[in-house]
Amino acid sequence: MSSIFSFIVRRAWWILILIALITGGFVSQLSSLKMETNIENMLPKSMDAYTNKKKLEKVFSSADMVVVGITNYHNPQGIYNPHTLQLIDELTQWMKQHKEFQTLALADLMSLSTIKDIRGTADGMEVEQFMERPASSPEDMTRLKERLIDNGLYMGSIVSNDGKGTLIVVRPSSEYVGHYHDIYKLIKNKVDEINARGGEESILITGRPIVEGVFGVYMPQDMQKMQPIILALLALLLFLSFRNIRGVLIPLAVVILSELWMLGTMAAAGIPIYTVTTLLPVLILAIGIADSVHLLTHIRTEAGRDTSSDKFTAIVRAMQAMWSPILMTTLTTAVGFLSMLTSQLLPMRFFGIFAAVGIIYAFIITILFIPAIEALLPNREKSLDKLAFTGYIQWMTRLTLTNPKKILAAFSILFLLSAIGLSQLHVNSSLVSEFRPSDPIRQADDTLNKHFAGTNSLDVMVDSGKQDGVLEPTFLSGLAKLQHRVEQEAVVGDSSSIAEILAEMNKVMHAGNQKYHVPPDSSELAAQYLLLYSFSGAPDDFASFITSDYRQAHIRIQMKNDSSADAGKIIALIRANAPQWFPSDKIEFAGTAYTSTTFSDLVITGQIQSLLLALSLIFILCLLMFRNLKDAALSMLPVSLAVIVIYGVMGLFGIALEIGTAVTGSMALGIGIDFAIHYLYRYRFYNIEKSSHAEVVTACNEDTGRAIAFNALVVIGGFLVLLTANLYPQVKLGALVASSMLICYLATCYLFPILLKNEK
Amino acid sequence: MKLIKQTLWITLTVLTVGLGINVPAFADPTGLEIMQAVDNREDGDTLQQNIHQILIDRNGNKRKRHMISFRKDYGKDSKTIVFFAEPANIRDTALLTFDYDDPNTDDDQWLYLPALKKVRRISSSDRGDYFMGTDFTFEDMKQTPELQDYHWKLLGSEKIRGFDCWKVEGIPASNDVARELGYSRLVQWIRKDNNFTIQAYYWDQAGRELKHLEIPNLTQIKGIWSATSVEMMNIQNNHQTRLEFSEKLYNANLKDRMFTQRTLKRGHR
Repeated sequence: MSSIFSFIVRRAWWILILIALITGGFVSQLSSLKMETNIENMLPKSMDAYTNKKKLEKVFSSADMVVVGITNYHNPQGIYNPHTLQLIDELTQWMKQHKEFQTLALADLMSLSTIKDIRGTADGMEVEQFMERPASSPEDMTRLKERLIDNGLYMGSIVSNDGKGTLIVVRPSSEYVGHYHDIYKLIKNKVDEINARGGEESILITGRPIVEGVFGVYMPQDMQKMQPIILALLALLLFLSFRNIRGVLIPLAVVILSELWMLGTMAAAGIPIYTVTTLLPVLILAIGIADSVHLLTHIRTEAGRDTSSDKFTAIVRAMQAMWSPILMTTLTTAVGFLSMLTSQLLPMRFFGIFAAVGIIYAFIITILFIPAIEALLPNREKSLDKLAFTGYIQWMTRLTLTNPKKILAAFSILFLLSAIGLSQLHVNSSLVSEFRPSDPIRQADDTLNKHFAGTNSLDVMVDSGKQDGVLEPTFLSGLAKLQHRVEQEAVVGDSSSIAEILAEMNKVMHAGNQKYHVPPDSSELAAQYLLLYSFSGAPDDFASFITSDYRQAHIRIQMKNDSSADAGKIIALIRANAPQWFPSDKIEFAGTAYTSTTFSDLVITGQIQSLLLALSLIFILCLLMFRNLKDAALSMLPVSLAVIVIYGVMGLFGIALEIGTAVTGSMALGIGIDFAIHYLYRYRFYNIEKSSHAEVVTACNEDTGRAIAFNALVVIGGFLVLLTANLYPQVKLGALVASSMLICYLATCYLFPILLKNEK
Repeated sequence: MKLIKQTLWITLTVLTVGLGINVPAFADPTGLEIMQAVDNREDGDTLQQNIHQILIDRNGNKRKRHMISFRKDYGKDSKTIVFFAEPANIRDTALLTFDYDDPNTDDDQWLYLPALKKVRRISSSDRGDYFMGTDFTFEDMKQTPELQDYHWKLLGSEKIRGFDCWKVEGIPASNDVARELGYSRLVQWIRKDNNFTIQAYYWDQAGRELKHLEIPNLTQIKGIWSATSVEMMNIQNNHQTRLEFSEKLYNANLKDRMFTQRTLKRGHR
């Protein structure tokens, strides 16, 4: 090995030119990087949540909807005043004239200006729009309000029960899939224009496509904002540690180069940036810095130990001592990330791959660039005792040597608390609650869910297996029973199906007699009602509820929140009763609620697998490196403790396991193991050199303990910067990884000396 | 005086043509004149026919209905009775319509539902409403739209399926009309030899192309030009409707009592 390092040191210019050329190559690729925000492209195509969603779109032309809410709390009549109704009509007509929206069928665009009333008249049935033109006279207002209440179908879903708010529910055009943020901006501009005119109304924008679209845009924005903060923090910490410009610029150059190489590779491979992978640059900065810090600290230690030899010899000696632990920690970190390949979700896989790639680049750049640049620059003037943390390192050494019992007791309490917390850990995910409570999107969603049936949908598709099968009385009553049962659940705001509409028709055809508010009792009657309706309705008014061959039906259940746990309960409820409601029919689930539930299950099982895989692979690597079962087991201790503690803390604080938080385990594992490896490696080295345990610990702490302290500080600081993010996944990830790093650090530097004591 | 005027016209025409400005030759009728000719086309005083209605949704699923229809004109007004024969679950359902020429008078419509054994009155529909689950609106079903609703403009001549046609554009006369009919523009291709519209395109309110109407074949029965089938395709959602007509009988002697609620209930024998 030393011949390679001598070569690097003596041919320093060649190495630097080589690095510059490679960097140039990668940078030239960067312009082709693309962003991918379409969640559909992240799902495995074989998942039924994906195939059912596609089926729902194709067969029932039903999709996630954009929701615009208009509320008027200032007018005593609520929305029933000329100005508000005019505004609803204006927005509705505006949507019809924009190709961003699909407004073909009634179900595509639902607002007070489009919905139709089915009414019984003295001698027949009348189907007409509630509001052909915006109502203006007080009598018209009263009539409109009465008709809506009398009809009932749209109370709660389009008009709030208190009459203070109304919704416009519109379908985004299929060409705009993945560009929902553009739709948000379009509506936002229109709303701003309306607000500028003044008025009593407030207008809120939400709906799943909007939430996803804005989320997809916030994430990279957050990361761009975070990058300079992290670089500044690193620079500050590096300066405190090394006390010169060189010690700041060299490690920063290493991590920035690693980031560029990693992004360049991503671009060259044609892989887009996903919301999750926007975390990568920050991650590489915080983790990649460790190698160069360890190496630089050691070069300086070597130079201080033997001032007689020339700087080339000192560099080569430091390289010889450090290359193998650095390689080792790089490999363990990479393995931790690569274990994410077990995930079924594409973004998670790419996250794992490119984090590993970035870490390996950081290693390569560290062992080439640092010796080369060190060889070219003049000798360091500062000696070891000027280094940072000296007081702290001495305090820590004293504490571990004199108070082992207190330390052990502290760790035991931590472990016990975590074990309790672990038992309370639950699984749940909700995209809306990832926004800060002050965010307009979250406020809009919260407000509208409070006053209306709900902005999230759970869709159930039932296939009767034969033409006209849906019109059979038994099938229709199955639909009605399902609706009746789920509507008893607090989280369900409303549900709708063809059975409900046929029941309404049956009622109006029997002079509004409430007794007949049940689905028709013969298939012929149902068919004739639908024919009757078709004389005034559009061909696809019911296309979202029933297929044109009357074979398949769709029930839309509106949920008050987008919690995957709540949706899971409703799905389980329907599954349990399905044999009774639909004895011989095929039942399938789709919609946002089902997708997020499946997604959530997938994330959790994927993460448990990857965590176990990472644990075993890292253990094997440690075994190969230390060739000693005890050391390998010992090095696993801090990370295992950290994993238990973070999941325990999540349990204690009621933070649910979901896509963002689930990855912390494998990440913490991969990064945290480094401390243990560095420590044990140096401990074994000094164990041979020194005679007493106290001497070994002191030497070890002075050398690698200092580097580990810095390493921990940088990683913790880097991840804490994520707390300033707009979205909670980053905030949670930042807090959890930071605290797990803290645990790893404490367990390594405070527990190891005590556990290793008996060896002397 | 007349000579001067003619000379002026010729000069003007030569000039504009020479300048490359494409205006219809001055001998051509105006768009409105063409549409008036379509409106006045002979369609018989009574008509009896079989109608097969085929609805095809965007997934290619077909839904078929078979009906027997009778129409009788009363001056500019007309009465129509339609008996449903298939599918079985709507057999014996029947529809009676009184269609009034005066745009201010709503049409009267009754439907007999055998499952309820009752005749129900159907509320008057808006002209832009879809007819019986088809891709035709009530307005589309008519021989011509209300002529005063549109500004008609002759765009030129084109050959459609080998027939020399006028190409006439209609733009709704007001925003209200556009909203009521659901169109922002339509273009019709009218056969010059018999004033029959054989193709029409419609644009929605956002200005997007919405529907295509095709009439592939015309026949002459007792000297009256008549379509054997019509197809309306919604090109936005790929829903289409085909109506096939057979056993057409023009100017047969249809009794007035045929067009009553009694007949509606009794059914077609």
